[in-house]
Amino acid sequence: MALFEISEPGEGHAKEACTTGAVGIDLGTTNSLLAIVLGDGKPRALAVDEGSTLLPSVVHYGEGGGPGSVVVGRAARRVAAEFPHDTIVSVKRFMGRSSADPETRRLSPYRFAPGESGVVRFVVDGGRVVNPVEVSAEILRALRVRAEDRLGIKVNQAVITVPAYFDDAQRQATKEAGRLAGLEVLRLLNEPTAAALAYGLDKRSQGKFAVYDLGGGTFDISILQLQEGVFEVKAVGGDSALGGDDFDRALAEILLEGEERTPRRVREAIDAAKQAKEELTKVEVTQALGKQVTRALLEEAIRPLIEKTGGPARRALRDAGVPDGKGLDGVILVGGSTRVPAVRRYVRELFGLPPLADIDPDEVVALGAAVQADLLTAETPQHDVLLLDVAPLSLGLETMGGLVEKLILRNTTIPANATQEFTTFADAQTGMDIHVLQGERELVQDNRSLAKFTLSGIPPLPAGLARVAVTFQVDADGILSVTAREQLTGVSQSITVKPSHGLTDEEIERMLLASIEHAEEDVQARLLIDNRVEAQRILKATEKQLEQNGDLLSGDERRQIEEQMAAVRSATQATDHHRIHEEIEKLDRVSADFAKRVMDRGIERALKGHSVGEFDKGELSSHAQKAYSALRDAQDEGEETASPATGGARSAEHG
Amino acid sequence: MSTRTCWSCRAEVSAADPLCPACGKVQPPLPAGAQIDKFALLGFEPSFDAPAGLDDKFRALSRKLHPDRFARATPQERRFSLEQTTLLNDAYKVLKDPVRRAEHLLALRGVKGDPKMSPEFLEETLEDREKLLEAKSSGEPLDALAAGVREKRDRTLREAREALESGGDLSRAAELLARMRYYARYLDEVEGRAVEV
Repeated sequence: MALFEISEPGEGHAKEACTTGAVGIDLGTTNSLLAIVLGDGKPRALAVDEGSTLLPSVVHYGEGGGPGSVVVGRAARRVAAEFPHDTIVSVKRFMGRSSADPETRRLSPYRFAPGESGVVRFVVDGGRVVNPVEVSAEILRALRVRAEDRLGIKVNQAVITVPAYFDDAQRQATKEAGRLAGLEVLRLLNEPTAAALAYGLDKRSQGKFAVYDLGGGTFDISILQLQEGVFEVKAVGGDSALGGDDFDRALAEILLEGEERTPRRVREAIDAAKQAKEELTKVEVTQALGKQVTRALLEEAIRPLIEKTGGPARRALRDAGVPDGKGLDGVILVGGSTRVPAVRRYVRELFGLPPLADIDPDEVVALGAAVQADLLTAETPQHDVLLLDVAPLSLGLETMGGLVEKLILRNTTIPANATQEFTTFADAQTGMDIHVLQGERELVQDNRSLAKFTLSGIPPLPAGLARVAVTFQVDADGILSVTAREQLTGVSQSITVKPSHGLTDEEIERMLLASIEHAEEDVQARLLIDNRVEAQRILKATEKQLEQNGDLLSGDERRQIEEQMAAVRSATQATDHHRIHEEIEKLDRVSADFAKRVMDRGIERALKGHSVGEFDKGELSSHAQKAYSALRDAQDEGEETASPATGGARSAEHG
Repeated sequence: MSTRTCWSCRAEVSAADPLCPACGKVQPPLPAGAQIDKFALLGFEPSFDAPAGLDDKFRALSRKLHPDRFARATPQERRFSLEQTTLLNDAYKVLKDPVRRAEHLLALRGVKGDPKMSPEFLEETLEDREKLLEAKSSGEPLDALAAGVREKRDRTLREAREALESGGDLSRAAELLARMRYYARYLDEVEGRAVEV
């Protein structure tokens, strides 16, 4: 591969040999950066905006709409106050978010086009409509073009970083933005993981590390293990609607007290607050909008925001098996907001360790991405490390009664797969709906629906005899594919899950929090549904036996069973799962003798012309087979009712 | 142990080996339905205890098998890499966990499916659960209850080891391991982790 000469301003003499045109890009909420591994094996961020390595993630759409009318970076930020509608700031916060979301409207001056499928679309100068993917692509394009100018080579491949909490759809959207900008996206990399990659290489560290990433708009926490050249992600967590922008807003709220809030004034106040916040990392007192602002005032305004990072951080530590940070070897700081002294103090308190911050917290993510780009493309990579990632949320299937059966649990190392067998619920059922879900809650309605499809062509068999194996496969990029296969006939169907619109990272956060808050509620709901499903099955089985073998009962016995069936039915109308359970048990008791008689008759019939051995091989007349499966059903029900360890619906219904 | 032929250099490869020892090429996974010895996949003999050096072996193999290593390889090799890494991640997860590891040991010895639980055990679990519900509703501390179940769990695991290692009653071992699942669930519930399991 050709060697390229590049020179960096500020180190004019340094002519470095660069072996690849693949770069690392940190597509950030507030700033975006581009870095590349140079001939000396070290990643370096390139100056891409007025001599700075930070390109503000601000895009201004100017008059005319032709080429050259789009301005990115500082130049765009300078005109933001003047053209608030036409200048998009922090576009990453809008990825996958609905324009109806009150959060979207909060302190944001944009005009939104009426959305189809709820995706945000901005109306900018001249009525032009752009979506967040297109705005992100402008930022990426600016980085690519400016890097090409610097390097004198074509940049056509990139590793782009995303928050650890981005789901499939948001990752796809980021890839799409890369493609729009003329880049082949080699890999999407989680931001905190990228940071650790940069640190691991520079410091040759071993052990367990927390990466505390407080950026402009998102907070991410990752627990990673670094050992013998392998990075393992042990747990991820975060709060996707929390960052330095919120600090600015909190201070701006104070600056704007008693003033009328025009979009322009709001923008000015936010800019002044941001500047004051940055100055206050060095001095104790400064001015903003003509008012005096002390560090103490700022810290008081942002303290509740900083403390919001504690919950996700503690949860991730527990998930990774290092509760309260005991056994943790270090904390890496990422994101410009970790420069705030109050944040550093809080981090030290939270983890009981002084945080590492020797790599510029703004650049560290881009540097790690550059390392990964080098690893993936170079003939002989400069560094020999491997990155093992995890699934950020559990993946599962809908089962009977609106419950979710999880197949791949959150924080499972990927690539991963899992297979679960399901059976038919009704006699002669020929189709089965496969509903794929993502989230931590017990009930379908509380999780996110990723895809739905129907497996048809199941042979018509008595309920419970057909076997459908559903397999989930998650690849190294976190993309899920699902296959359903009927075991007898081999009929199968598969899809790759590409949701049409994204789950916002905020939604993910909310779902995670809710799963913890609602744990008890979920268990109650699950028990109720489990018991109702059981009641339904046992009623069906009893009805079938009454119809086929009713002659084995006296009128009195029959009446007793039917009365108890009515009691079970009425219990299922109410919401007390204990009562349903009790009534089912009573039905079991009053029908025990009947069941025994049916069993005797079944065996007697089956044995006429069949050996007991053949019974198991399924070589039965359809009549005997029915009796056999009904018996087995009855037996299964008894077991499931009695055993708390094997509870849970097993079959999926064709709806 | 069965062997097969490397698709690339035609050398003989042990069926469980994901890499050809001669040319280093990644091998296709065994056909669907074939029993995979998760110990052998990582180069270990089956054992009740965690194999020594498990973490190191997992990392060393990951470094060779992971799809990131095959970004420039043929589509076929990329697919083998994905499938083998998936198997490796699963095997590692199973071998790390004492109960899953023991269950896999049983599966390798031909014991499959859910064992029948004894009525006495089921009764005992119902009692434990009732006590837990009572303690929860009256706000009593749960420590003593949890300690009791933890002790039962540890004893059960010891018994399972004996049943497995003496090569004796495998169905007894299966039932003991099924009990472990119940204990784990109970302890998760005490510690408020019910939904995360």
